[in-house]
Amino acid sequence: MAGNKGMFTKLWAYISFTLVIGVIILLFVYVFVNGADAITIEFITQAPRGAILGMEGGIWPAIAGSFCFTTLAVILGGIPAIASALYIVFYCRSAKLERLFHTVIRCISGIPSIVLGLFAYSFLVRELQWGRCILSSGVALGIMILPFIEVRAEKTFRELPKAVVLSSYALGCSRRYTVMRIVLPACRGELISGLILGGCYAMGATAPLIFTGGVAYAGVPKSLMSPAMALPLHLYLLLAQGATSFNMAYGTAFVMMAIILISNILVTIYASRSQAKWNA
Amino acid sequence: MQTRLEKLFKLFIGLLTVLAVAVLGFVIFFIVKEALPLFKEVSLGDFLLGTRWLPIAYAGEATFGIFNFIAATLVVSFLAMIIAAFAGIGAAIFLSCVASEKARSLLYPFIDLLAGIPSVIYGFIGLVVLVRLFMKAGVHTGSCVMAAAILLSIMLLPYIISSCSETILKAKQRYLASSNAMGISSWYGIAHVVLPASWGNIMLSMILAIGRAMGETMAVMMVIGNANLFPRLFGKSETIAAVIALEMGTAEAGSLHYHALYAAGLVLIIMLLLINALIGALRAKLIKEA
Repeated sequence: MAGNKGMFTKLWAYISFTLVIGVIILLFVYVFVNGADAITIEFITQAPRGAILGMEGGIWPAIAGSFCFTTLAVILGGIPAIASALYIVFYCRSAKLERLFHTVIRCISGIPSIVLGLFAYSFLVRELQWGRCILSSGVALGIMILPFIEVRAEKTFRELPKAVVLSSYALGCSRRYTVMRIVLPACRGELISGLILGGCYAMGATAPLIFTGGVAYAGVPKSLMSPAMALPLHLYLLLAQGATSFNMAYGTAFVMMAIILISNILVTIYASRSQAKWNA
Repeated sequence: MQTRLEKLFKLFIGLLTVLAVAVLGFVIFFIVKEALPLFKEVSLGDFLLGTRWLPIAYAGEATFGIFNFIAATLVVSFLAMIIAAFAGIGAAIFLSCVASEKARSLLYPFIDLLAGIPSVIYGFIGLVVLVRLFMKAGVHTGSCVMAAAILLSIMLLPYIISSCSETILKAKQRYLASSNAMGISSWYGIAHVVLPASWGNIMLSMILAIGRAMGETMAVMMVIGNANLFPRLFGKSETIAAVIALEMGTAEAGSLHYHALYAAGLVLIIMLLLINALIGALRAKLIKEA
């Protein structure tokens, strides 16, 4: 009788764990199995074609476009994110300022990505007359991933053993020297993983692109002021057209899932290696 | 020379911080500014409690009532949280109490893969798998609130699992050795000592998960059917985020419809802030009790 609750908990833990792992494997296997047929050299390297766009041809402009959107977002969001995390952890002396900063970060991380898209559309595309372009979307995506990267960076900086930083100060090293020569190299692995995962987040986002710079068809982008295709938007539009190009939709999903999987594996390997180096 | 470099560096990262805060603050300001004109024409009560959403005056007057959208957002998020809680807390117990340190370091990144999958892919799989299943089960067209909730629950799993297993791990390190020393079985100790001690923080992660679910756009929009109806488990409905995504493209800039969509976005943000405030209050209470 007394052991019932314990047994129940054990059963619960095992069943749900199996369920969760099963779902993850199922998601990836489903996309990879169904998408494998669509993956050919032409699919990766050619532009979409067909009477209904996307029925034939490939997704190369979408891959190139997604690459541009993501890179821009990581630059625009990542640099201020890491700089402000450094400032808050190593320079900021006022608890009030820190609280204000965290409130703003929390507010922004709570804003749904579609609302950020709305903002970028009204302000950047219309009021500032940038038009629908990579830059407008890049800013929206950058704002979206800024809190994501900042929170991770700040956590990393705070987890760095205090003794390391204090010893550096005690040896007469300045704050700048400590940050540049000790803090940043020690946290490099974590910071880079934060940037890559932030990039994945930006790459997969559709909602901020719909009004701001993502279009149904464009060539490989030539400048920041031109609109571009993007993988998630392409997938969404293929689906919105109905069942005419399911094969291509599976192929597009395959490419995105492969990018996510590879980046995550790289991040995990890199993080575990830099962790080992730190501990040694 | 050295001190000048020092000052420059401080100035540089200080400026970037100010820039970040200013841009983020401006986004919030801009959304409020674009939302307010609506309330000159439509009263707050009508907007929040009205159920008729006719943004374009084809016949008669345009009306803006987002009650059904608010209800759908809350119902879908809450359902998703309930489903995710079952699997998520269980998996967190497994990770923190069964898995070894080494297994954990491999399983965490594996589960985090779920957080990396783009929401449009969730929507896609939801459309070709879940919606078809519901259709076979007799739900008209297959798109329904339940499909959206199941899909969302999978998206919430990584967040729930990581925060819950952190909490449970801490409680386990604190209490399990003494509970084992009393001669009771590990699982009895986990069920009667470790879990009750973690319950407060687990609740907080659940509320946080509702907040996260409310802002999700694409995946939900693709399987919920998008009809302005009060949410029922197997009926269609439409969330606030979906309304914005679907209608912004057709709303005339500067029109009442456009401002109404901003106001809907603002309502969503305020709901999230309320949830954050609730979490803050509960956390303060938990810390006081501990």
